[in-house]
Amino acid sequence: MADTREILLSPPFRPFAVRPRAMMRRTEIAAGEDEILAALERGDRHAALRLLMQDYGTAVYRYCQQMVEDGDLADEAHQMTFVQAYEGLLRFGGRSSLRTWLFGIARHRCLDLLKISRRRQKRFQLMPELPDQPAPAETAEESLAARSRMSALSGCLRELAPRVRTAVLLRFQQGVTYEQMASFEGERPATLQARVARALPVLRRCLERKGVAP
Amino acid sequence: MTPPASCDRFESEGLLRLERGEPLDEHFLTCPDCREARAAYARLRQDIAGIGAGDEPPADWEARVWARLAERKGSPRWIWFLAPVGAAALAATLFFALPRTPAEPSLMQDLVEAGPARRATGAHPGERLHLRAETASSPQAELRVYRNGRDLLLRCPGDACCQRKGSELSATVLLSSPGTYQAVLVLDDEPLPPPGKGLDPDAGAAFAQGARVLLGEEITVR
Repeated sequence: MADTREILLSPPFRPFAVRPRAMMRRTEIAAGEDEILAALERGDRHAALRLLMQDYGTAVYRYCQQMVEDGDLADEAHQMTFVQAYEGLLRFGGRSSLRTWLFGIARHRCLDLLKISRRRQKRFQLMPELPDQPAPAETAEESLAARSRMSALSGCLRELAPRVRTAVLLRFQQGVTYEQMASFEGERPATLQARVARALPVLRRCLERKGVAP
Repeated sequence: MTPPASCDRFESEGLLRLERGEPLDEHFLTCPDCREARAAYARLRQDIAGIGAGDEPPADWEARVWARLAERKGSPRWIWFLAPVGAAALAATLFFALPRTPAEPSLMQDLVEAGPARRATGAHPGERLHLRAETASSPQAELRVYRNGRDLLLRCPGDACCQRKGSELSATVLLSSPGTYQAVLVLDDEPLPPPGKGLDPDAGAAFAQGARVLLGEEITVR
């Protein structure tokens, strides 16, 4: 229960004044975001969230799945991201794109839940989760190799510290720029660039240890 | 397996240059080991970009977001900021001063097979899902079951298998084929928006109207 409260009471952004859409830099607004911003201008938060879920639901899900080891917690982070986005939409100031803003929320939720997960793991020795069904038989050798490489990569990413992992995923999986990342990480772009550059050899060594060369 | 190409300078300097968007100097373009290391890191970046590419969120995730938002509407966040003593005083005042509130809305579900009913989220074709919903005397209440987030299998009240007893709605649904089955209870003071577009849009429309949306555990039939 205490954990839930912690999540609810730690909004990642300070409320800021709404900046008129005309003042936003055009480059910040992706094509699909125009419709969401128009809904927000109409005050239709419901339509804005529906579009936000439609456009970014899968991307945020994939990010959360890689960030949080526990599948149920990843689902929780994914859903809480959009719950919190809905609550924060009217305060969205347009200092970044909606996508960047949303991933800022997702990052906070994932890191919060990782803390909870770690506390839980300290208390209980969790059994590794078994897959519901056996993996379907692969026919193409290449496909099998790609799966095994991805599975190894996923494992290696999880060996990185959460703050490093999130920077690597946001940069390469989600294509968030360092400037955009800096806006919600609270760190300078140069720091984040160095963090990611240092993480790549660690990942490479990890993959090599697992017998998978990048 | 052949040992991977090693280029210390590329790892200590070249990678950072690339992340900064700076050009690489002559050495990185001519040294064979560095060129190979650069190609390996390009593949690594590509792999990270494609990680989880096949992962899709659960079919009913949008409905769950709407249901959570509907639940949070009923529990304002400012209440958490009250000092414990203030909260206790408020609770005591409410307990003695206000008339007893009716039961809270709830949704219970059991799987029924040949033996006794059981609580589970996995079932087999032919089993039945028994649902009981406490509507807390809400003027408008509807119990629904969707299959695979699309097909509306039950509307209660309305369907023949639906029963109403006081403020409770109950129904039993046959889990005829494999797929995911999701029970939803929607409550409001106003007439509910008609369902039929699928679980996520129906839950979204109900939430937009201000209705409460309660979701049961998703049942997977294999």
